[in-house]
Amino acid sequence: MRGYAGFAARRVGQAVVVVLLAYVATFVVISVLPGDPVTNTLRNPENGFTEDEIARIVSYYGLDQPVVVQLWEALSRFVVGDLGVSLRSNRPVSQSIAEVLPSTLTLAGGALAVAIVLAAVVAAATQFLPRGAGQGVARSLPSLFLSVPNFVIGLVLIHVFALKLGLFRVIDPDSAWATAFAALALGIPVSAQLAEVLVAGLDHESRQEYASVARSRGLGRTRLLLRHLLRPSSLPVVTVLALTVGELLGGALITETIFGRAGIGSLVESSVTTQDLPVLQAVVSLAAVVFVVVNLLADLVYPLLDPRVRTPRTTTARPVEVSVA
Amino acid sequence: MTSSTPDPLPSGSTPGAFRPTRRTVSAVLGAGAVGTILSACGGGASGSSGSTPAGAKQGGDIVFLIDSLGDTWIPNNSAISSFQGNVWGHVTDKLVYVDGEGKVTPWLAEKWEQNANATEFTLHLKSGVTFSDGTALDAAAVVANLDYWAKGQADKGVNPIGLFPKTYLQASAADASTVVVEFSAPTLGFIPTLGYHGSILISPKTIALPAEGQADLSQVSGSGPFTVKSWKEGDEVVLVKRADYAWGPQALGKSDAAALDSITYKIVKESSLRTASLQSNQADAVFNATPQELDGLKEAGFEVATPRYLGFTHGYRLNTSVAPFDDVAVRQAFQHAIDRDEILSTVYTSDWKKAQSFIQSNVPEATDHSAEFTYDAATANSLLEQAGWVKGADGKRSKGGRPLSVTLFPNPYLVTSQAIDELVAQQLGKVGFTVDLQTFDVVTYGQRVSGNKTLSNYEVTRSFIDVGTVASILTSANKGEDWFGLGESDQTLNHLRDAVAGAVDEDTRRTSVDQLQQYVLEQGLFIPLEQIVQRIYANRSDLKGVTYNGVAYANYYAAHLEA
Repeated sequence: MRGYAGFAARRVGQAVVVVLLAYVATFVVISVLPGDPVTNTLRNPENGFTEDEIARIVSYYGLDQPVVVQLWEALSRFVVGDLGVSLRSNRPVSQSIAEVLPSTLTLAGGALAVAIVLAAVVAAATQFLPRGAGQGVARSLPSLFLSVPNFVIGLVLIHVFALKLGLFRVIDPDSAWATAFAALALGIPVSAQLAEVLVAGLDHESRQEYASVARSRGLGRTRLLLRHLLRPSSLPVVTVLALTVGELLGGALITETIFGRAGIGSLVESSVTTQDLPVLQAVVSLAAVVFVVVNLLADLVYPLLDPRVRTPRTTTARPVEVSVA
Repeated sequence: MTSSTPDPLPSGSTPGAFRPTRRTVSAVLGAGAVGTILSACGGGASGSSGSTPAGAKQGGDIVFLIDSLGDTWIPNNSAISSFQGNVWGHVTDKLVYVDGEGKVTPWLAEKWEQNANATEFTLHLKSGVTFSDGTALDAAAVVANLDYWAKGQADKGVNPIGLFPKTYLQASAADASTVVVEFSAPTLGFIPTLGYHGSILISPKTIALPAEGQADLSQVSGSGPFTVKSWKEGDEVVLVKRADYAWGPQALGKSDAAALDSITYKIVKESSLRTASLQSNQADAVFNATPQELDGLKEAGFEVATPRYLGFTHGYRLNTSVAPFDDVAVRQAFQHAIDRDEILSTVYTSDWKKAQSFIQSNVPEATDHSAEFTYDAATANSLLEQAGWVKGADGKRSKGGRPLSVTLFPNPYLVTSQAIDELVAQQLGKVGFTVDLQTFDVVTYGQRVSGNKTLSNYEVTRSFIDVGTVASILTSANKGEDWFGLGESDQTLNHLRDAVAGAVDEDTRRTSVDQLQQYVLEQGLFIPLEQIVQRIYANRSDLKGVTYNGVAYANYYAAHLEA
């Protein structure tokens, strides 16, 4: 128990360091770039502001301060949980994030479900379809899924199901159908990696001696797969699943833009194009937190799947060597 | 709460469900023409009655697809944006109405007077007008707004509005419905500026809010025909009509509540998706289709509008303090080397008009000076030849070892800019210029190009509502922008500028503006390309009565769906 508490404390400590580093790194990167949202707006050619007027507003935001001072102020606010105010919208960052987070969570959750189901179907097909054409098709599906860009899938789905068949409306992206198709667009490429790893794992396990023994004793294919092969084959899948979270966040940006969903992705997009530092820092920190938490969960699931990984201490070295056959 | 759950349409209304049928029927009847006649008759009748024209259907909900809703909703900071202006025009009113021809007519200011030297104005307000939060729109409210526009709120990070006269001294309420406004110098442009898209009247309660409150659209109250039902950042804004609205602008021949029940502004960033949604009846109006999509939309029966705003034509202002434009012959050669017809036929459709001057032809004082910038490669060549720019073996000119080179910076605020600059580069190349193109995104452009006095040229897209503002922009007088890098050195320009800025009556100003146009074009200081259209609209065919004001925003207040 003592060992586990130490392990957990270490992981939380690591997480805090990761989040702080992400925060500072975002700050440094954006500060190096020329311009800021406030000056950019003021310099819009339709505006016609005098330099005096621009200077007054810029100084209100503290953007005329040295970068180090700005970073110090941002950090001291951040550690007490104050995410600041968006330079672009002038609204509290926490409010903007709270508004869009549910939409992104729904999309990412749906996409993850799509990915897992698709990967399972493809993997099952490779095991049960007759050798030759059928299995060949199933085995080539992951590469196909991976090679078609996310946005192409999204645009095709919208044109066919929204505009031609009228199954959902472009202006109502949070409806059930629209969400389902957005999750499909986002989930398809993600499923490819899961399927690859799962198929490789199943192939590997089915060549093991225990599988041959089981088969020679007349154990059915389905029973063999579910009872014996699936659990060890799932180990690398968990690792990939944890990494997938990053991909879901990245892919959400494109999917949300195409499907017109207001989510974290679209918030990031508008913040990047306007260099809205407080929002970007908050989103990057949030992503860091999610990533750390998901990987922690993966580590905790490992011992349950593999009896050899019982003590938490050993989880830092995960057996990923089977992932690529 | 700032954002309610998205509920773009009131329950029971499912326009998507019945619209195709109606559209089919109207197509069969050839109702396009019938509809036009109906609405024309109705419009005439409504002029006196001040209500929705006969033949119009009451009610209806429209969905407007837009590529962005800009950054913030703080009224002063956002009203200049090309995007939010669409929403503000429905939520707020103005003191005067300025139409597409620059004609100024009463709105919430019923009449006004000015003193002999145009430094003091008295506005008489319409009575009984209220903001949607219940506050009266009286003289005190107008004074609060004038101060807000002119000075902003530096302590809250709120900008003044860009084109508000810098000569503003103060405003005061003479009585509940009379406002007196004073200026430090003649400001003939003051009244038209009240119709500018930045001059939107908002409740004093809104003005008193901290910045975060002003940025929350649901806390902003205007006196317009629609109010904000809900909004979600980066997603949509839902407006519903205000039933007790009774002070529409005279010019629109309607003063009562809007016919439409609601307008939903929904962000769809992908241009082709916006157009496709309109074509498949999932939307009723779209913003910013590309010029290439317009013919297809027209053929499919949609109303396409390319309103021009009052302002400068699209073109280049040349910096005379940077080579090679310190040489008047080079500027004039640039002027004549450009084939504007080729630009219009290659990049645009027939909806775009040729430039006649450096100000758009719908500006009341604009006069036709196209003779000063005819396409004439021979003249361009001989001007350069005489000025000592010699053509080398590669066809490129140079003088004393210095190449005749120019770098163009396509304006990222205008989608067609890059294509035009590429064409211009070819055309200039034919008379011996070496032309480079440097393309930047909006952010980098703002940093490197806007306001950079070391560049030889700057591509202009800019609206203004009154020609008086032009004068201060061209030179450095009154913190002007000194567009041509001349400072105070050009006596002729200074004289014309002072004559325009200091004019106290319209007629003398008109003459001075005419001379100013002639001089600027003949000196090759401004190189016009074409009359700018920065806001492109496409509406479903049975949506009638859409109006476009002097800053080219569509307004659906006087619009209705055909019965």
